Amino acid sequence: MNLKNLSIKGKLMLITMLTSSVALVLLSASFLVYDLISFRHVISEDLGTQAEIIGYNSAAAMAFKDASTATATLQALKAKEDVVAAVLYGTDGKVFAQYVRGNVTRPDLPPDDTSINGYRFRGSYLEVFHPVSFNGDPVGTLFLQSDMNQWSSRAKNYAVFLGLFLLVSAFVALLIASRLQILISQPILRLEDTMKVVSAKRNYEVRALKFYDDEIGRLIDGFNTMLAEIQQRDAALQGANDELKTRTQELETEISHRKKTQEELLGAKRAAEDASRAKSAFLANMSHELRTPLNAIIGYSEMIEEEIQDSGQIQNVQDVKKVQSAGKHLLALINDVLDLSKIEAGKMALSLENFEVAAMVQEVTATLQPAIAKNSNALQLELSEDLGTMRSDITKVRQILSNLLSNASKFTDHGTISMHVDRVSTSDRQWIRFRVCDTGIGISTEHQANLFKEFAQADVSIARKYGGTGLGLAISHRFAQLMGGSISVESEPGEGSVFTVLLPIQATADVAGATPKAEGTPAVAQETNPGAETILVIDDDPAVRDLMSRFLTKIGFHVVAAAGGEEGLKLAKRVNPVVITLDVMMPDVDGWGVLKRLKADPALSKIPVIMVTIVDNEVAGINLGASSYLVKPVDRDRLAELIEQYRGRNGSADHQAVMAGVERAANEGKTSKRRDPRYRSN
Amino acid sequence: MCATLALPARGQSPDSNSSEYLIKAGFIYNFVKLMQWPAGAFAQASSPIVIGVIGADPFRGTLDDVLKGKEVNGRSFVVKHLKWGADLKDCNIVFLSASESAHLDDLLRLTKGGPVLTIGDMPGFAQRGGIINFVLQDDRVRFEINVEAAQQANIAISSRLLALAKIVSPAAADGRKAQ
Repeated sequence: MNLKNLSIKGKLMLITMLTSSVALVLLSASFLVYDLISFRHVISEDLGTQAEIIGYNSAAAMAFKDASTATATLQALKAKEDVVAAVLYGTDGKVFAQYVRGNVTRPDLPPDDTSINGYRFRGSYLEVFHPVSFNGDPVGTLFLQSDMNQWSSRAKNYAVFLGLFLLVSAFVALLIASRLQILISQPILRLEDTMKVVSAKRNYEVRALKFYDDEIGRLIDGFNTMLAEIQQRDAALQGANDELKTRTQELETEISHRKKTQEELLGAKRAAEDASRAKSAFLANMSHELRTPLNAIIGYSEMIEEEIQDSGQIQNVQDVKKVQSAGKHLLALINDVLDLSKIEAGKMALSLENFEVAAMVQEVTATLQPAIAKNSNALQLELSEDLGTMRSDITKVRQILSNLLSNASKFTDHGTISMHVDRVSTSDRQWIRFRVCDTGIGISTEHQANLFKEFAQADVSIARKYGGTGLGLAISHRFAQLMGGSISVESEPGEGSVFTVLLPIQATADVAGATPKAEGTPAVAQETNPGAETILVIDDDPAVRDLMSRFLTKIGFHVVAAAGGEEGLKLAKRVNPVVITLDVMMPDVDGWGVLKRLKADPALSKIPVIMVTIVDNEVAGINLGASSYLVKPVDRDRLAELIEQYRGRNGSADHQAVMAGVERAANEGKTSKRRDPRYRSN
Repeated sequence: MCATLALPARGQSPDSNSSEYLIKAGFIYNFVKLMQWPAGAFAQASSPIVIGVIGADPFRGTLDDVLKGKEVNGRSFVVKHLKWGADLKDCNIVFLSASESAHLDDLLRLTKGGPVLTIGDMPGFAQRGGIINFVLQDDRVRFEINVEAAQQANIAISSRLLALAKIVSPAAADGRKAQ
């Protein structure tokens, strides 16, 4: 057991016992030593006296040479137990008489040594030489030898007694210590108990009991003071805690209140979103509803125009063309309005692709050439040689440039319209800069500020004089922003204008998809031009099916038409078409579903699918696996171009005839394309 | 000692005889130490103790030699060789030689009435009224004491001496005859 970890009680007892025992042992030992020394002195004195008496008593016998009497005298020493030998030496030094305890002859008796007068200790013996004289005459020497039996037995007894005394006093000390240690240990033990209560039960109300006014008493006072302090703090803490609880409850109430409000807000938001969705759906429906009849008007007027030209009744062509032109203008207006609403709703998505800038610009200028030439304007094209390719939404870039060029030609008469394209570098990006300059009427400074705002033409009168919705610049501005670029204008009234478009060479896509909705009317499958390569047209609009069939038949294809998704899928399996054109909004299975299932079917997945739809979501279509994406009303030239890519894929016959048909269709398309402001493929 | 060696012995070898009487002379000296004469036995405090030797002197001067220069209680010794008719009461001690055994009773009678220590050297001396008689016991010199005779002579004998002596009583007839 570790002494240091002994309990206070044990330590006190130990200290008391050790101290008292050591003191007692030392005291007893000193007593013993003192006593034994003095007793030795006493017994040596005693032996001396003994020798004197014996000497006196044997003096006469010695004087009268009476050895037997002397021996008898010595025999008296029998009574003295510790005298083991007594010898009388005559004056001649010879043994005169001797006495040995037990009458054993002692060979080691010393000779008469007159040099010693008195006692000496030799070994464990006390020896005395005492001169014997008879009435003043020396007659010999008496030698006494004591084994100090008395002394050693006394020492033994004394030691035993001291041992007993030590035991008894230790016992008594133990009793006293065990009573007295309570004085110190009890207050400490009580204090410990109190501390246990405090720490185990966190009860700060208990107080340690003070016994005496000593150091421990002061310790207990200090402990109690500390407890009081802790109790006070505990109470304060409890108070703070309670307050916190109250506050927390208040907060919880507040939070639940806010949650309710939030739920209400969420409900309101959902309602708003529903409303927004409804609005989008309405817009989509409206655009569909608006475009469908226009589709029919433009398509059929084109057909009629062709038929009239074929029949040679030229005088009627102008009338039909006016119908066509009016329809296309209306379509342009509707498209602008829809584009703008899409932009406003944040639903305009970018379809990024890499394209040659120079080729794109030439294409646009070529398309716009007729419009430029209309007011006897000349076009100058300046292309920097390092233009290369850019990654952007080619359709939107085209639209911006078309807008700018058509505006320039609209407001310039007998002037020059020039287009400059070059690369510009800023610290962080590379840009393509398009500048469209004209020598037209110019724009005043105050009008320049509103130029890119929706429905804000420079002058209301201008709309009457020049036509247009005033949405072109706003849309161009928004498109440029969407692609990470900008558009700006410098102009002086009467001096002409310079529109500058800056577009990043690498645009980043900001994809937003519109949820397609199934709608439409049931349609009847139609089949035309058997024998040629088959094209499957899936569209619920009978007018579209009719127009598509006529056009495609004309360019040399056998057309199979289906009015719904399920029917289209069945037909696709049966006729194995070279191309499928697919509408999105259909009553049973919508175009997306049909597309997915086509691409999932190994037998059909290789067939190119051209989406032909009013839903403007090229990204979704391409992602689902469509090969191309055309937005209604269909640009027939574009359609012909696309389909041409897939002709002969199945190794079908009559390739020459088909090629001829395509060329013809392309030539015919050019006439209508010139007035089409929407030269776009999406 | 040289003297004793020079003198012839009687009946015994001169050497052993002289050593015996040397011892006896010493004994006489020691007897004096343990005796107390009555007051008035000596004229003065320093008066010497007078020892008279009657008969053939067995000491042949040894006694003189032994006692020469010795003192007991401040008294020295004077040794006289007494002739017939000398007053024995003038002596403090009378040594009766064995040669006088035939006249013993007469001689002892002469000592009566005075404090005279009689020392004899013959068998039956103490029984016949002498105070101290030397005897040989196992070739050792011992002595007998007639305590009654000493009391009659008014001489106190120390108990230490008595303890060493063989105490004898006078024979009734002899004692009565002696008185």
